[in-house]
Amino acid sequence: MLANRKLILAHFWLAFAVFGVALMLGAWQMFIRSPLGTWLSNPELYYRSLTAHGTVMGYVFPTLVAMGFGYAISESALEQRLVGVRWGWAGLWLIVIGSIMAVIPVALGRASVLYTFYPPLIGSPFYYIGVVLVVVGSWIWVALMSINLRVWRRANPGKAVPLAMFANVAGSYLWAWTALGAALELLLQIIPVSVGLKATIDAGLARVFFSWTLHAIVYFWLMPTYIAYYTIVPRAIGGRVYSDTMARISFILFLVVAMPIGMHHTFADPQVGAGFKFIHSAFTALVALPTLLTVFTICASVEIAARLRGGRGMFGWIRALPWDNPMMLALAFSFVMLGFGGAGGLINMSYQLDSSIHNTQWITGHFHLIFGGAIVIMYFAIAYDLWPHLTGRELVDLRLIRTQLWLWFVGMIVTTFPWHWVGILGMPRRMAYFDFGDPAIAPQALSVTFSAIGGFILLTSGILFLVILARGMRSPAAEAGAYRFSLAVHQPTTVPLALNTHALWVALMIALTITNYGYPILTLAMTEGTSVPAVYVGAQ
Amino acid sequence: MSVQEDGGHRGTEIAARTERRWATISVIIIVAMALLAAFAGIHRATMPQPRVETTDPSRLHLSGEFAESNLGSVLEANGAVTVRAIGQQYSFTPACIVVPAETPITLRATSADVVHGILVQGTNINTMLVPGYISEQLMRFEKTGDYLMPCQEFCSFGHEGMWGKVRVIDQAKFAELAKSGGRLSCVGQ
Amino acid sequence: MSARDLFTFRNRHFTTSTGITAAIFIVTAIAGFIVLPFAQHWLEFASVWDAICSAAGVPQRPAAVAAAQDKRVSEVVLTSHTLSRPNQEAIGRGATLAQRCAICHGPTGISRADSPNLAGQYAAVIYKELHDFRSGARTNAVMSPFAVNLTDREIADLAVYYAYLPRLPAYHPTPQLPKPNIVIYGAPMRGIAPCGSCHGSLDNKTGSPWLEGQSEAYMKAQLQAFAAAERRNDISQQMRNIARAMTPQEIEEAAAYYASQPPDIVKAVD
Repeated sequence: MLANRKLILAHFWLAFAVFGVALMLGAWQMFIRSPLGTWLSNPELYYRSLTAHGTVMGYVFPTLVAMGFGYAISESALEQRLVGVRWGWAGLWLIVIGSIMAVIPVALGRASVLYTFYPPLIGSPFYYIGVVLVVVGSWIWVALMSINLRVWRRANPGKAVPLAMFANVAGSYLWAWTALGAALELLLQIIPVSVGLKATIDAGLARVFFSWTLHAIVYFWLMPTYIAYYTIVPRAIGGRVYSDTMARISFILFLVVAMPIGMHHTFADPQVGAGFKFIHSAFTALVALPTLLTVFTICASVEIAARLRGGRGMFGWIRALPWDNPMMLALAFSFVMLGFGGAGGLINMSYQLDSSIHNTQWITGHFHLIFGGAIVIMYFAIAYDLWPHLTGRELVDLRLIRTQLWLWFVGMIVTTFPWHWVGILGMPRRMAYFDFGDPAIAPQALSVTFSAIGGFILLTSGILFLVILARGMRSPAAEAGAYRFSLAVHQPTTVPLALNTHALWVALMIALTITNYGYPILTLAMTEGTSVPAVYVGAQ
Repeated sequence: MSVQEDGGHRGTEIAARTERRWATISVIIIVAMALLAAFAGIHRATMPQPRVETTDPSRLHLSGEFAESNLGSVLEANGAVTVRAIGQQYSFTPACIVVPAETPITLRATSADVVHGILVQGTNINTMLVPGYISEQLMRFEKTGDYLMPCQEFCSFGHEGMWGKVRVIDQAKFAELAKSGGRLSCVGQ
Repeated sequence: MSARDLFTFRNRHFTTSTGITAAIFIVTAIAGFIVLPFAQHWLEFASVWDAICSAAGVPQRPAAVAAAQDKRVSEVVLTSHTLSRPNQEAIGRGATLAQRCAICHGPTGISRADSPNLAGQYAAVIYKELHDFRSGARTNAVMSPFAVNLTDREIADLAVYYAYLPRLPAYHPTPQLPKPNIVIYGAPMRGIAPCGSCHGSLDNKTGSPWLEGQSEAYMKAQLQAFAAAERRNDISQQMRNIARAMTPQEIEEAAAYYASQPPDIVKAVD
């Protein structure tokens, strides 16, 4: 039984509540800009909604999930009481305050700058300060994860850190470092302009800072999902992790190569040198490595489960898998979406292919498939798996859970596949409405309609998810026992120092950030005359 | 593969070997992709712009390359075409760009205010316009006709109305138009 | 754990990982900074160093291009901070100067004729138009002679004075008309954004006036002049691009609509 259930539940409930609201906004956006909706007489409402949707889904929701899950991992994997519970609550409150502070100007239409900020567009300072508070709140969690691991190490010298905690701490370090880019952009560039201390801003430098955060943040979102792949799925379906070492290497690789690749978001930008674009492109290719390794290890682990259940034959074992187990279903859906999304990602990483889809609807389709699909469906699975341990009550209706997962999967495919397609046709991003009556873009209308329908399927699934969790709070009490993670086929007792600690990899992460970002940031910062007048959005 | 827990040392070794093989295959895939990207970039001439150039967005209209009288298409002495354009809230100038087919074209563009983007539908012409910096892109059209050119980055509340056009005309026709000198565009046609 | 055991060349993991990382970085850097620039035969570099600097993104000033100067375009530089902090003295000086303007623009800044109402107009707008009248970028038989003799400070004073005046209902009231489509939605495929995204009801693009309650005849004439490129003082064609794409009927609808509106729906202020 977890000792700090309230803290963890508070994170999860807040995460899923804001997720529900942002999901509703998302579905509305899909609808209103599709041929099914009528044009908005105030397009600003669309951008307002888009700002709220992106800010919640990008910054608040996944951060809270990672934090809640991180506390649960720390307690259960290390089998020790969480150190710094009060700080944990303080972090959560900072996020609550930051979110409220950010959402008020957004709701009033005073910060419709979208979650990517992109100066010289400037909105209300409260929006930016709110986002900073959210990040600072999450940094408390990063510190707590590190401290808890240290406390455990002192009590267990030389022992192998449990994989779940090793990965969790890796994820937290990645976040601490990757969030720094946007934090620097906000604190050094945007907020001074927003509060009126400065009148000009270097838009190019801001985009470079933002790319520092914007790509690696994806791997921070991904961390809980990968932790679930390795440490929950095999246990839940009755198997073993194929290799503990490979798992550690995957997480280490994410730590090292997730950071120095963000400039593939700026391939089409005029302020970054072509040489650095190439380096970032090559490192982006490298980030496929941990995913390829993971796919192999997890498929092998799943095969072990199947064979333990009596599966036979080259592919016959697939039938022996526990398909009625929600975890199995979620994993399969997640992998399918990861496969398609990853293939799309390979296109984005090379600037030749990227130029045909850069900033089109393809990109939105891509990250919804990866993040909203492959990653978030595992967030659902994590919540289902943890819920009995958090509430002391059983989730009884497995059928409803399976329906929810199916709906999410189908909804995501129906939403994102046509979305990718219209991107290839050149449909630009982030527009409040389109004139589908014009013959030049009329062929896109059908695809956009499908996407909008997919959006409503997703909304249905999301509501169902919240209903299942809420009902789970009131079902009959049942002792769930200790929360356990998967064991490896060869459970390690000792692992090499480098695979048991993060220092070397954090050092490499920082070193690569300096080599890949240092020069571009410094030159842009030192060049005179690249700052441009701020443009304040909306009613002042 | 061995699934027994007591597979012992041999099992571990087999598992490790299989993993190593897969890791090697993964690395080969990745290296091949990176090489492919570099190769395609050179042979299809779709490389990112070679230089970073700066400019002052609020003074573009006063003089120099992006003054109003210099915006549009011009036929260079070597037969290539240079197009100069700007993006601003919420239009491109020229709003309709005219270029010849089957001709190497250099697009030079920048923004006068916020971040915009130029995307020509049905092609891989796609670049950001960041105020303070000049974007340059090589392009070439094989087919004549009209292409839509929307702004692809949110540029505030009129973004949805920022659509320009590219008109690709016959080479000879373009040369004819170019004879009279000046900067060409297809606005108002 | 000890950092000394970890960060030492005796540690296989340390040597391999830093070795591989450094190797990848060096190989990609050589490829990106030297091989690829020279592999693009259409590029010309003065030296290897020039190629490396270019690939690294050292900012350069573009080669000077001499463009023929058009006398009839605006030479005003506007930013969001143009005249954003008016002081009382400037407003007072502006009030004195504005007595000359009252004949056409009304003593309260509301015109009884078809001249523009100036009460509560954005300061940047008045500032820019006066500069343009003075430089000849915009001409008007009545207005130009007034503007020619104004100093920079007088222009700024007038601008902040009129911006300071309360926004009053127009002198020529008309029944409020429903919003025409061109005003609410623009026409995306013709490159027309909603009018309000620049002209104040949604957002204000610096230098664009708010239009509610202006004279219908005046607005129609200006739109037509922009469309025909007879008026060219809109910086980089920002308004000609729009007016040119509007149909004559849309021009009439937009002018009639804005003339019929009270000033209180203008959201953005400067």
